[in-house]
Amino acid sequence: MSAPTLDALLPALTDWLPGQRWFAAKDRTVSGVRLVGQQEITPADAVPAVAHAVIAVSFTDDGPTDRFQLLLGSRPEVSGELEHAVIGRVGDRVVYDGLADGEISRLLLSLIVSDTTVGSLHFVPEPGTEAPIVGPGRPLLGEQSNSSVIYGERAIMKLFRRATPGLNPDLELHRALRRENSREVAPLLGAIEGEIVPDDGGAPVPMTVAMLQDYAANSADGWSMALTSVRDLLAEGDLRPDEVGGDFAGEAHRLGKTIASVHIELARALGTERLGADGVAAVADWMLERLDLAAGAVEAVAAQREEIARVLNGVRAADDEGLLVQRIHGDLHLGQTLRTPRGWLAIDFEGEPSRPLDDRVRPDSPLRDVAAMLRSFDYAAFHQLAEWETGAEAPAYLQRRAQEWADRNRSAFCDGYAAIASTDPRDQLAVLRAYELDKAVYEALYETRNRPNWLTIPLRSMARLVHDTDPARGASDH
Amino acid sequence: MNDGTPSAPTSTHVAEPGHEVVEPSAEDFRRARQLPVEDDWYKRAVFYEVLVRAFADSNRDGFGDLRGLTDKLDYLAWLGVDCLWLPPFYDSPLRDGGYDIRDYRKVLPEFGTVEDFVEFVDQAHARGIRVITDLVMNHTSDQHVWFQESRRDPDGPYGDFYVWSDDDTRYPDARIIFVDTEASNWTYDYVRGQFFWHRFFSHQPDLNFDNPAVCEAMIDALRFWLDLGIDGFRLDAVPYLFERDGTNGENLPETHAFLKRCRKVIDDEYPGRILLAEANQWPADVVEYFGDPEAGGDECHMAFHFPLMPRIFMAVRRESRFPISEILAQTPEIPHNAQWGIFLRNHDELTLEMVTDDERDYMYAEYAKDPRMKANIGIRRRLAPLLDNDRNQLELFTALLLSLPGSPVIYYGDEIGMGDNIWLGDRDGVRSPMQWTPDRNAGFSSCDPGRLNLPIVMDPVYGYQAVNVEAQSNSSASLLHWNRRMIEIRRQHPAFGLGDFHELGGSNSSVLSYVRQTVDADGHRDVVLCVNNMSRFPQPVELDLIAWKDWTLTELTGGVPFPPIGELPYLLTLPGHGFYWFSIQPGQER
Repeated sequence: MSAPTLDALLPALTDWLPGQRWFAAKDRTVSGVRLVGQQEITPADAVPAVAHAVIAVSFTDDGPTDRFQLLLGSRPEVSGELEHAVIGRVGDRVVYDGLADGEISRLLLSLIVSDTTVGSLHFVPEPGTEAPIVGPGRPLLGEQSNSSVIYGERAIMKLFRRATPGLNPDLELHRALRRENSREVAPLLGAIEGEIVPDDGGAPVPMTVAMLQDYAANSADGWSMALTSVRDLLAEGDLRPDEVGGDFAGEAHRLGKTIASVHIELARALGTERLGADGVAAVADWMLERLDLAAGAVEAVAAQREEIARVLNGVRAADDEGLLVQRIHGDLHLGQTLRTPRGWLAIDFEGEPSRPLDDRVRPDSPLRDVAAMLRSFDYAAFHQLAEWETGAEAPAYLQRRAQEWADRNRSAFCDGYAAIASTDPRDQLAVLRAYELDKAVYEALYETRNRPNWLTIPLRSMARLVHDTDPARGASDH
Repeated sequence: MNDGTPSAPTSTHVAEPGHEVVEPSAEDFRRARQLPVEDDWYKRAVFYEVLVRAFADSNRDGFGDLRGLTDKLDYLAWLGVDCLWLPPFYDSPLRDGGYDIRDYRKVLPEFGTVEDFVEFVDQAHARGIRVITDLVMNHTSDQHVWFQESRRDPDGPYGDFYVWSDDDTRYPDARIIFVDTEASNWTYDYVRGQFFWHRFFSHQPDLNFDNPAVCEAMIDALRFWLDLGIDGFRLDAVPYLFERDGTNGENLPETHAFLKRCRKVIDDEYPGRILLAEANQWPADVVEYFGDPEAGGDECHMAFHFPLMPRIFMAVRRESRFPISEILAQTPEIPHNAQWGIFLRNHDELTLEMVTDDERDYMYAEYAKDPRMKANIGIRRRLAPLLDNDRNQLELFTALLLSLPGSPVIYYGDEIGMGDNIWLGDRDGVRSPMQWTPDRNAGFSSCDPGRLNLPIVMDPVYGYQAVNVEAQSNSSASLLHWNRRMIEIRRQHPAFGLGDFHELGGSNSSVLSYVRQTVDADGHRDVVLCVNNMSRFPQPVELDLIAWKDWTLTELTGGVPFPPIGELPYLLTLPGHGFYWFSIQPGQER
């Protein structure tokens, strides 16, 4: 496949892109697709042939363009198994999403294992590890923002769909954690690294294409397990969370220990620093900025703006000694955790994908991760009630049960965290509350725009955080 | 009868002063017919634990006996079990359910005679059913003639048969097992004027296996019963045979060396017979009892997997597969000649030694709301009351028992969903008479009801008029028929007993799915897929079956073909507490 022929694929891509789950800009209409980078991995006439491409997508709203990575496979003919992945026809070849092709995924794995460079692409094994040569890979279904291939329950390769200049924090932090022999993440086995011309032009800079990790076999995600527990509780009605069979507190406690270990390992690997008064002020200002953004869109936020701002300013309580910051997960929630038969793992260290890379790699307080997890327990507790028959509010006793579940598991998580970390996150209550409320404000904005049914979840928490003093209630003995 | 010491009557075998006791030999008895030697029968077998005392009374004395049990062999053959496990039936003062043996070569008079036992084994073998019996090697009753001689004559042939000490301070690191009743592992004997060592009750002195004569005497006891025709032993309390300073006295190398010696006797003199270890330890320690993996295992053929059982209960309560997944992931590979024994309930309490503290508290809270239901560190209930008599859960638990890796052991009465009597002392609550009919004494005995050794269960839910073999035999939808069918299905698929175990995982943490797979000498592959819903709510699950692409699934209880396996994850939906067993077979030619 030479460059001119790939250009012929662009009209087909315009039709194909909006149907892909990882295509983030679903609410915008694509006006054009441009090829901004291309590297053949095999000769163009190989069967199958595969090439790496970076495309820039522009939209009818004339807003910023989005850039995505593709691995394009091509064959003279495709079998029925590949038909669902076909993008279009270029000359005498059928072009398709290469990850769907087991032969291509097997090739990519073997290139990593043998430490190969093809043009601008570097296939690098992680030093000191041995990736299993198994294959072909099988695409993982149901993913949101990236695309992964599983190799025989041994390894998983994730292709980052957004093409972002610089080292992807997911790869960066997994490398750091592997050096620490972390048991809290799936060990890194290798990566594919390429390059990209920055948005503003100039010389190409490095970019992370894909990452290869151990596959956490027989795992389930924390979000669905938490929902199982809440479902069990709400079906009981007259029993409290500590009395029902589906109690989650033991898991929440272990999860707290896992996250504390991740923080300790990240601090050891990449260091810590103390933010002085200026740094803390910047954090508070940034929170207040987000507050104003939300207040402009969410009435309930606007109505409490002053009270919320007072709590957010609690982050300045860290002024005296300075706020201890380090690299953190950055987008932690129950859905970013995996329960395996050996314990919990944290996954996806990319940070909030919508934020610029500079923000995502900036050291921040580990309390931001803790607060995000506490928020996630609230979401799990009230998720089913938010889905209650439209219009009607869930009965008060069920709301009380849900609140008890959230309290019990939030405090179990903090207990577990404190058992490993040198401090209990609740010792810095004002800072923790500020982070949690900041997150809730952001959620209120997000839900207003995307899932109005769920808006009650962050609003309820906001009200509690503004008027209450203890973000991990039920742990008053602490 | 009496050897002159101021103690209770002892064995009929009397020692002349300074001489050894003369004990009967197998030559004195008829021998049972033998089943053909099959090397791996214990890996495929369904075991059935039956208490002689509680099964059937042939002579109207209120005690079940060996002749009564023999009369019920047709029932057990009909049920389809392969091997009976008899807890101790030896002569005993019965202060610990017969685990306090007074004479290794005599049957408890209430149960019958050695001749009755030989006839029972012979009749079982005639029906293709094997028999293993409990043997307590660690200790005897304090009424055993060896102990009586040992306390009376420290310098006599039995003076060194037990572990004696001038004070009670040695081996401080050995834990006390029966914490409810025992304050120390040492008890003072006023006759000999020394303390004796006991890991269990103070009326059960531990034998001194550092004395070669004790080892010889024990191996001779094994030979006695093997010569009469039994198929093996369950070795009770094996981790505690030896004591060493500075250790907790469990799993010592000396203990393993002695068990290897016992195994060699079996291999050399009694091929096809087995040793089953009772070692209530973590799986990583228990695998030591299988012996050298290089040799395929040269100690016990089988060992109980203790921690699995409470984890099954916990998984269903938590609606999560992980309590089971975790313990199976922590279970090491075992030698190729070895097999786990697994169970849901047995004559002991639901043992909680092998769970962590918070899990134990949780199990108490969930399953023992009444403090009387606790015993030692466990819970004394039968399966049906533990599960609130919920038929769906009873079936799910049994399906797990019959399909997880290991040979299942069914506890007598659980096949009909019998209840318990928590008002009886110690562990007798789960040892009440078998319920055969709705007639007097539940058909267990025709004696005067007042003579019954233990009362029949009479409550309105589990009582003998509601729950009995006769009624359930007459209803094809009964739990008894269901159990029989499941045992039969299990027998048709060698993968259940011999297959390796691969957990499939899957997106839904409430669903436990695994594949059992074996290939026989002719290259015939048997693949069984088991899918279990731990939740009381209906659940979907997507399974990665790509390794069997284009193969077909056939449900095992009805033979219904399911859609063939394709590229995509295989979607199944299960009712609350539902389960499926499938056979996976190569696709039909089209």
